[in-house]
Amino acid sequence: MCIEPCTDVVCSFWSRLNQGPMTLTITLHMLIILPMIWIYFDEKKKMEQGDIPEE
Amino acid sequence: MGKPSVWSSNRFWRRSATWVTGVSAVLLILLTFDSMSQMQMGTAQDIKNKVDKRIPSPVVINYKIDYQLSRKRGHEVPIIGGMDANGNSKYEEKEKFFGRDNYSEKEARELIHLGKLTIQAKNCMDCHTLLGNGAYYAPDLTKAWLDPNWNTLAPAYGGKEYAMATFLQNPPAMAMHERKMPNLGITKKEAKAVVAYLKFMSAIDTNGFPRNFGKIKGAVDAWK
Amino acid sequence: MHGSNLYEGQKLALKYFTVAIVLFGAQLLFGLFAAIQFMYPNFLFGVLDFSINRMVHINALVVWLLYAMIGAVYWLLPDEAGREVVGIKLGNLAFYVLTAAVAVVVLVYLFIQIGPGKESTIWFITEGREYIEAPRWADIGIVVVVLIFLYNVYATVMSGRRTGILAVLMADLIALAGLYLAGMFYTDNIAVDQYWWWWVVHLWVEATWEVYVAAVGGYILIKTLNANRKVVEMWLWIEVAMMFGSGILGLGHHYFWIGTPEYWWEIGALFSALEPVPLVGLFVHVLYDWGKETGKGNKITNVPAFSWLTVETFGNFLGAGVWGFMHTLPQINLYTHGTQWPAAHGHLAFFGAYVAIMIAAVYLAIQGKAGLKELKMTKAGWWAITLITVGVLLMTVSLTIAAYVQTMVERGMYGATWEGFFAAQNNEWFWQGMCWRLVTGLMVIVGYIFLVYDLLTCTKKQPVQESEAEVAAAAA
Repeated sequence: MCIEPCTDVVCSFWSRLNQGPMTLTITLHMLIILPMIWIYFDEKKKMEQGDIPEE
Repeated sequence: MGKPSVWSSNRFWRRSATWVTGVSAVLLILLTFDSMSQMQMGTAQDIKNKVDKRIPSPVVINYKIDYQLSRKRGHEVPIIGGMDANGNSKYEEKEKFFGRDNYSEKEARELIHLGKLTIQAKNCMDCHTLLGNGAYYAPDLTKAWLDPNWNTLAPAYGGKEYAMATFLQNPPAMAMHERKMPNLGITKKEAKAVVAYLKFMSAIDTNGFPRNFGKIKGAVDAWK
Repeated sequence: MHGSNLYEGQKLALKYFTVAIVLFGAQLLFGLFAAIQFMYPNFLFGVLDFSINRMVHINALVVWLLYAMIGAVYWLLPDEAGREVVGIKLGNLAFYVLTAAVAVVVLVYLFIQIGPGKESTIWFITEGREYIEAPRWADIGIVVVVLIFLYNVYATVMSGRRTGILAVLMADLIALAGLYLAGMFYTDNIAVDQYWWWWVVHLWVEATWEVYVAAVGGYILIKTLNANRKVVEMWLWIEVAMMFGSGILGLGHHYFWIGTPEYWWEIGALFSALEPVPLVGLFVHVLYDWGKETGKGNKITNVPAFSWLTVETFGNFLGAGVWGFMHTLPQINLYTHGTQWPAAHGHLAFFGAYVAIMIAAVYLAIQGKAGLKELKMTKAGWWAITLITVGVLLMTVSLTIAAYVQTMVERGMYGATWEGFFAAQNNEWFWQGMCWRLVTGLMVIVGYIFLVYDLLTCTKKQPVQESEAEVAAAAA
């Protein structure tokens, strides 16, 4: 395993997620973007059922 | 009209915008709680227990401060009171500051309180940078306490804190460059407090900023 | 009188715009003083020191942009909501209170300048914190005035038409106002101080102000090109998602070196690296709509406003996007932080992102005030946009050259000491960069004179055409 013990002054939850240059930020990006897929399919379903009021 | 697409639906983008903004704001708040807990000013007890703090107790003015490469962190870190074999602060070696090395926590806090107020009241940040933020008309003050320039002036004034305090009270008289600092009416008491603040600030862990501070002296003649 | 068919809210907007343009002049004047001092340090030494000129320079900038932003909202609010602004009397009172307060603050900045190291200085003279130096009493005044403004926006929209543009503005303005509170306290801990200070500075200029610009930009597109509202509002929501998605956590790129934990390196670098994306989107959107609408045969009904909007999208992308991205990664920022880099980036970004669109909004109001169906570009208007835009672009290039020298010499070669700082400042390339900055600054000031002249006269210099008011009068 290449998980490093954190090297920061204090080892908090966030600094443990910070394994190398990308891990923490990829986690956060995914957390933000992935639920948009659900929003997409939810909207699609509503659109097909035709229960979107015209704006 | 073709088949309506979710991609061109205002509702989809409005919901996405709301979601993205909300979750980003929540993450920022969670991160802020964590950062704030790590950035509280340390206490004299921490120093006694040799606990590293990002922002140490102001009693660091009683100690010798240095700025050395940490192999573990991969950049320079403040070294307070001497360095042990592992490259960590020992919190042992003292250094006299205006003739004393026994400032109590209360005394030291009062000093840096006056120092910070003076730094704001005199608008230092609109010429200098502090922790790299401010204006770019005058040198960065993050590690000013450790600047080799003060070491060369120190003997003539009986220590660098005296040289710095004398300078602050009437900078044009000690001007070191054509672009000189104006006389801001800093009193003797305020000058001592500002110097204390600069010493305290040099002990803040800035993740290795500025790089190589004071390591290279006139090595490259870029003047010409 | 042409002006008589304006809403009262729009008349209030004109007052805000007038003060904004005056303060814009003050910003340029004090910027000029500071630029001269970089080359001739004895200029005004002991009378108006660099710190004072620089403080007035950046404070005038922030305050005039806020004036113009409030003005633009008062301009579009009754038009979008389809009704008069609700608390117009209160709004007028707030305008005069704010203007009197700004005048007092500026006089104190210029004539008292600094104080002793006491709490009273923080309350009455200066807080000494870049961009938000305004003393505490003025902070509280600003909060009260902004609350009145927010009340007017909310009350008007609630009882009028609720468009997508207004919905975005309502959410954005409350965040913008709330963030100011983060910069209103004192602490001895400089790291904590700067942490919250960035909440105001970054979350304004890299999040809430950008969203504001996207919303007002959408309104200007509808007004000048007759662009399709549904498409404009869809783009607006995409912009909001991308701007807040990258901008809120992009705040981390200010938390690399101020005593903050190391994990901000990763968060700041990769979120802020995405900040240019919505700015490209804005640019593409405006060009796309331009081509589409003129292709359909739609005329641009306000050429100066549309031209300034185009400058905005281009300058925003280049200044905030490209110049920001250049030094946003920590590996590079370690050497560029606290050098002329942020100065180069800041000049083009503030101009591109905010100054240009606010001038566009003023042109829109000038057209509305005169009741003209069409506003063409005059000669003076052309000189104004050309001199100001080219001037700021070249100024940015000059500062960038100076920034390279400073980074290489002070940071790379000398390790950021006092000696290194002055070795860089005395370098010939740095000196020439500063010299060209002064020349280009003068260019911008000449452009400003053309701009003021054009704003005062352009409606009288239009080719003969029937104004809306005359058409209405003839019909009656």
